[in-house]
Amino acid sequence: MSIVSWTVEPRDPRTQPQGEVTGYAQTFRRWPAQPLVVRPHDTGELSGPERLERRLPPSKADLAGRGAKRAIGQLIHLRARIVDEDGAPVPGALVEIWHCNAAGKYLHPNDSNDAPADPNFQGNARLVAGDSGLVELRTIKPAAYPVPDTAGWWRPPHIHFSVWGRVWLSRLVTQMFFPGEPLNENDAILNAVRDPEARERCIARLVPTARASETALIYEYQLVVRGRKGAPRMP
Amino acid sequence: MTLGPFFPREFAQGANDLTIVAGKRAEGEVIEIAGIVTELDGKPLDNVVVEIWQADARGRYDNPNFFGWGRAATDANGRYSFRTVKPGKVGGRAPHINFLVLYSGLMRQLQTTMFFEKVSDPVLDVVKQRERLIARKISSQSFSFDLRLRGEGETPFFDD
Repeated sequence: MSIVSWTVEPRDPRTQPQGEVTGYAQTFRRWPAQPLVVRPHDTGELSGPERLERRLPPSKADLAGRGAKRAIGQLIHLRARIVDEDGAPVPGALVEIWHCNAAGKYLHPNDSNDAPADPNFQGNARLVAGDSGLVELRTIKPAAYPVPDTAGWWRPPHIHFSVWGRVWLSRLVTQMFFPGEPLNENDAILNAVRDPEARERCIARLVPTARASETALIYEYQLVVRGRKGAPRMP
Repeated sequence: MTLGPFFPREFAQGANDLTIVAGKRAEGEVIEIAGIVTELDGKPLDNVVVEIWQADARGRYDNPNFFGWGRAATDANGRYSFRTVKPGKVGGRAPHINFLVLYSGLMRQLQTTMFFEKVSDPVLDVVKQRERLIARKISSQSFSFDLRLRGEGETPFFDD
């Protein structure tokens, strides 16, 4: 591993969600009550692990093909591009992706949502970006699901992304949303980001398909790991 | 019933031992770091993802024979643990380990730093409650570092 050391541009606070969010009770139990401390940056913060796949092995890029049959739901083909604050691709970036199934159920023992599991749905993937910073994934569109113990909050369909930029400070976990979803308008998590342009960057773009014979809808999404146009971090 | 993220459990498996790199033992003193992650009222939290980034025993981040990154997830009692080697001094910095915490209810991922002793360090020096960033020594090979996200004894976290 050779050292990777960069300077980083700060994130614009308007593009980042607030720590405490009305309607999202856990934020008031978990977000620190004390203000975050501003510290100087040094080698540790401005370097990061290279070829992380040595510790976190990649998986196959298909969440819809776990079993003998394909997973239930609208097949989608997701193209996500990982770029840094200058818009330059981050080749070799490790990307973790997870989401619920087409009934709104996560493949996770802690999800007690009363929705059926799908044995043919994989639930998560770990991929390495190519030279152009691109990862591609076949999956199904996740469903909306109700958030327990809230006044009617439903999460809009979304996909979780966990990525590593070049340095420790550009570590990012966020969520990708789908265009045209009415639930996007009222989602407490998406709307915890004040800047409308930053919220817009969280929403993938539907790409017109060239042929009717395509089997999946194509979505494109660009993820800026840091800087003024950095993606909003989300849980 | 909780709200996610339902961070896949398999993502955190097999990544909390930094002492072995490509089948070989890393150079340095092997230590265990363990702790409890709690929310308000000291309630322990399950499936919290904790990631670390540290230098090797000689204070290098770029040693090809050491891999200074690891990840663990807490169990139902809120407990995480890592096996690693004790980092050396990095330039003017005291030995330390960078921590990142990811969990539901944390709108942004939280960063903090663990130190082994209360010594002068440019990062530790900017923290008011600096004793909260000093690991508790259980034995020469074992350190305890709790992460109190909110409430009494709250861990200081950094703006990045």
